[in-house]
Amino acid sequence: MLDWGRVRFFWAEVAQNFTRNITMALTAIGTIAIAIVLLGVFLFLRTSFNIVMQNFVGQVAVAVYLREDATGPQVNALVQNAKADPRVDSVRFVTKKQAFANLRRTLRGQFNLNVLNNNPLPNTIVIHTREPADVPVIASELQHKPGVAVVNFGSDVTTRLLRAEALFSAIGAGIIALLLLSTSLIMYNTIRLTVFARQREIRIMQLVGATGWAVRWPFIFEGILSGLAGALIGLGALQFGYRSFAPKIIVNLPFIPFNITQVPLHHLALELLLVGALVGMLSSLFSVSRYLQTA
Amino acid sequence: MIVFQDVSLVYPNGVHALTEISLTVARGEFLFLVGSSGQGKSSLLKCVNREVRPTEGEVIVDGHGLGDLRPRAIPFLRRKVGVVFQDFKLLHQKTVWENVAYALQVTGASSRDVLRRVPRTLELVGIAHKSKMFPHELSGGEQQRTAIARSLVNNPLILLCDEPTGNLDPDTSSEIMALLARINAKGTTMIVATHNQAIVDRMRRRVVRLVNGRIARDEERGRYHVGLG
Ligand SMILES: Nc1ncnc2c1ncn2[C@@H]1O[C@H](COP(=O)(O)OP(=O)(O)O)[C@@H](O)[C@H]1O
Ligand SMILES: [Mg+2]
Repeated sequence: MLDWGRVRFFWAEVAQNFTRNITMALTAIGTIAIAIVLLGVFLFLRTSFNIVMQNFVGQVAVAVYLREDATGPQVNALVQNAKADPRVDSVRFVTKKQAFANLRRTLRGQFNLNVLNNNPLPNTIVIHTREPADVPVIASELQHKPGVAVVNFGSDVTTRLLRAEALFSAIGAGIIALLLLSTSLIMYNTIRLTVFARQREIRIMQLVGATGWAVRWPFIFEGILSGLAGALIGLGALQFGYRSFAPKIIVNLPFIPFNITQVPLHHLALELLLVGALVGMLSSLFSVSRYLQTA
Repeated sequence: MIVFQDVSLVYPNGVHALTEISLTVARGEFLFLVGSSGQGKSSLLKCVNREVRPTEGEVIVDGHGLGDLRPRAIPFLRRKVGVVFQDFKLLHQKTVWENVAYALQVTGASSRDVLRRVPRTLELVGIAHKSKMFPHELSGGEQQRTAIARSLVNNPLILLCDEPTGNLDPDTSSEIMALLARINAKGTTMIVATHNQAIVDRMRRRVVRLVNGRIARDEERGRYHVGLG
């Protein structure tokens, strides 16, 4: 059964820690808030970039041009294998006739295809992948299959975009790591001061036989609460910024192939809250554990 | 209850605080630890609740050797061994009641236990009528009663008192010693480090004198100094 007296005691201890070191509590919360704003802006940009990439690269597909003498079973095998491949999103078979009709539609009024007395276009299998990165891989796998004449994908552009994306991800991960590290360090030192301010309590707890975890828990909760509070403040600032700037971006940069409302804001906000709580918790845990070791 | 076997303690700075201490304190015994400042009284007490670890020898408390006690087990030893200090070590922002309850709350006692044991303990040490007051509203003797209640509320087997009357006037000191004697009479093993010659001479209990970290004298029904009266 839940012992409300104990719950009350626990939260009173946490609250007292908070109110007695109000300056330090605010420092910790402010630090987290700033970090969350920076992280939020950064994650927003990164998600936007990823969406743009998806929109760009998502249009890139593998076009498998078949040989004139490809047999029915060969073509069938190619289509079935592609469909069974978990990396593949969709497979479309385009006949010579359809390809010619498409071409005719595209070139209507510019070029008279009637001058051609036979259809020069091959039968084609068009494959869309789930991940853009798989396009070059699948293309090279299909290159030497029986019945295949040529495999084509926007190789140069695609490869470069994919490389840019990889670079951006790596730099992004580095920046995020640095940001979290510096925030944690500031938090760690701030909370160490609050631990120091409570050394009398900690000493008495240890003398009357409190376990290490009984000493740690209130600090851990204080860390989580500071983290959540800081994250909420940071999210408020981000929300304000988004409300003020998003409409201007949409109006002023219409040429960017990107719909700003595609960014999953709720998901992002949840991540930021979790990061805040986690950073707060871990820095508390480390500061108090360090103190208990040296005590 | 407490056995010291050839215990020596050298602090990291090289000070030899205790040298080859062998001592047995029986269950329910009352023992005065005397000696001038710096002779090792506090260090000896700290060996019992494992605040320090002897560099040599073994301390056995309630049948358990403390030498190979794992750090996780120390809190449970401390629940058996209460401590009382010269400077009381009360929490200023908590009332008398809260200071005493604290010892139970941080060791995971249920709130039913807290409600049952705190008033009883406050009654026992004679401070129940001031349970809502803060330490700064109390006299030194009342603060020490509160500290004793806190160390007692967990029902320890042993109570270690490090100069419990060091900050108190003679009359109050006598009252506090009388309280400790009453607690001892209920079965708690008691070690009291003290400078208080008058009280030691009046109470005529076992006296162990430390000089330079060694036991210089160990007498049943002893006095503070040898050969006086
Ligand atoms: N933590 C410590 N580190 C180093 N030396 C200490 C420490 N505590 C006590 N000492 C030294 O050990 C000796 C005994 O001290 P202590 O046990 O406090 O004596 P008493 O309680 O009889 O006054 C003294 O010389 C003191 O300076
Ligand atoms: Mg001392």
